[in-house]
Amino acid sequence: MNKTITFAKRNFLEMSRDPLSYIFCVAFPLVMLVIMTLVNEGIPKEGVSIFQLDNLTGGVVIFGQTFVMLFTALNVATDRGGSFLTRLFASPMKSSNFTNGYILPMLLIAEVQIVCTGVAALVISLILGTTLSIPGILLMMVTCLPSAVLFTAIGFIFGTLFNEKSAPGLCSVIISLGSFIGGIWFDAEKTGGVLYTISKCTPFLYCTKVARATIKLDFSREAFFLPLIIVIASAVVLMGLAIVVFRRKMKADLS
Amino acid sequence: MNKSTAIRISDLTKKYGEKTAVDRLNLEVQEGEMFSLLGVNGAGKTTTIRMLSCLSTPTSGSAEVFGHDVTKEADTVKNIVGISTQDTAVAEKLTVEENLRFMAEIYGKNKDDAARVIRDFGLEEVRSRKAKTLSGGWKRRLSIAMAVIGDPKILFLDEPTLGLDVLARRELWKIIGKLKEHTTIILTTHYMEEAEALSDRIGIMINGRLVQLGTLEELEAVTGRKGLEEVFVHVAEKEGAYHE
Repeated sequence: MNKTITFAKRNFLEMSRDPLSYIFCVAFPLVMLVIMTLVNEGIPKEGVSIFQLDNLTGGVVIFGQTFVMLFTALNVATDRGGSFLTRLFASPMKSSNFTNGYILPMLLIAEVQIVCTGVAALVISLILGTTLSIPGILLMMVTCLPSAVLFTAIGFIFGTLFNEKSAPGLCSVIISLGSFIGGIWFDAEKTGGVLYTISKCTPFLYCTKVARATIKLDFSREAFFLPLIIVIASAVVLMGLAIVVFRRKMKADLS
Repeated sequence: MNKSTAIRISDLTKKYGEKTAVDRLNLEVQEGEMFSLLGVNGAGKTTTIRMLSCLSTPTSGSAEVFGHDVTKEADTVKNIVGISTQDTAVAEKLTVEENLRFMAEIYGKNKDDAARVIRDFGLEEVRSRKAKTLSGGWKRRLSIAMAVIGDPKILFLDEPTLGLDVLARRELWKIIGKLKEHTTIILTTHYMEEAEALSDRIGIMINGRLVQLGTLEELEAVTGRKGLEEVFVHVAEKEGAYHE
């Protein structure tokens, strides 16, 4: 466990010293929150609820988590491309120290993101004179953890299988796809048709649903529990897969 | 004090598909010895070091480090060896001190050990600088410092002075010379004067095989050549070394 914490600390420190972490993991989602709020102020209120602050905040939290995926991939791929990981493979560290050490700091960053997004949303709500549930924001720190695990797992898989040039590119595809089919910037259900069918087949839509239901304190079966179960199940499967892929790759590297 | 066998290698072989990187290597290195492995690129030096430090699994044969099999007792072996790879293996965004503390914690040591290594390696003036801002010489020094922080009984130095200027190289020689007093060191290098200045014994690998082994004087006597470079060129040409 000590080696895991030591490695997690190193990963967190390295990321915290990369300005891009702040730009993509914190600043960019906040900018999107502000821009979309301004868009919402400029469009007719009837029929368009996606950019209302209680919907938008949950969406932006999930949008931010897609960048956690990007940084997980970048971190793992960069380490694998250099000699530093070779040195650690020759040390008494076990594969669980590596996997947990990569995952833990990303979850911490995801939590920081939720807090930053929540605080920014509260400030905006005060400015606009709208109401936003503070307990809902706090609860997102718990209910959005499975989606953070899910995105971290995807980043982990990409970082393990691809190099530091390919992995971010693939993550960008997931960021774009996740934004669209996850219904972050529009109401996926209202689009219907093939797009909605695709949305329902991926976990991204359910991540967004959980975040939005939490902030509205809507803990009904349809809005919260079913999506949450799907997100948890997807996160468990993807994280299991990520760990297996990393262990196999590590074993192959050491053969 | 009786010295024990630090490394015992029997018919160690590593194949990558059809290519044999290391071919039935037999070697013993005594505790406290400084042993240099020489060879042209692709001779099998790095592959040998990778197998001895549990970074690669032998295809056949066996290797023991202080009596522990590198395949069956990898966890034990990893606790008693340190490695400095060809490329500087440091965490670029951490400071020198953070890098050393990190490695100290991985090996169950503490910050006092990191402070001791900073002192021993003369890293005080750069202790707060991030690794990515260091010159090649300082980085290599840090990389070796990170390899010794766990107090390894055996230290593998894979081309430790590659690409360094003559002054930085001489500085590292001094450090390696001091380490030699209490650690068994296996060194691979392309610099003949380095092997000549530092080694107790020298092995020459050609195409995965260990073709010559002995002290410089013994090698000179066997080949009839004077100086390690002449010895090496003579052996390499005789054995048909392929140089890329």
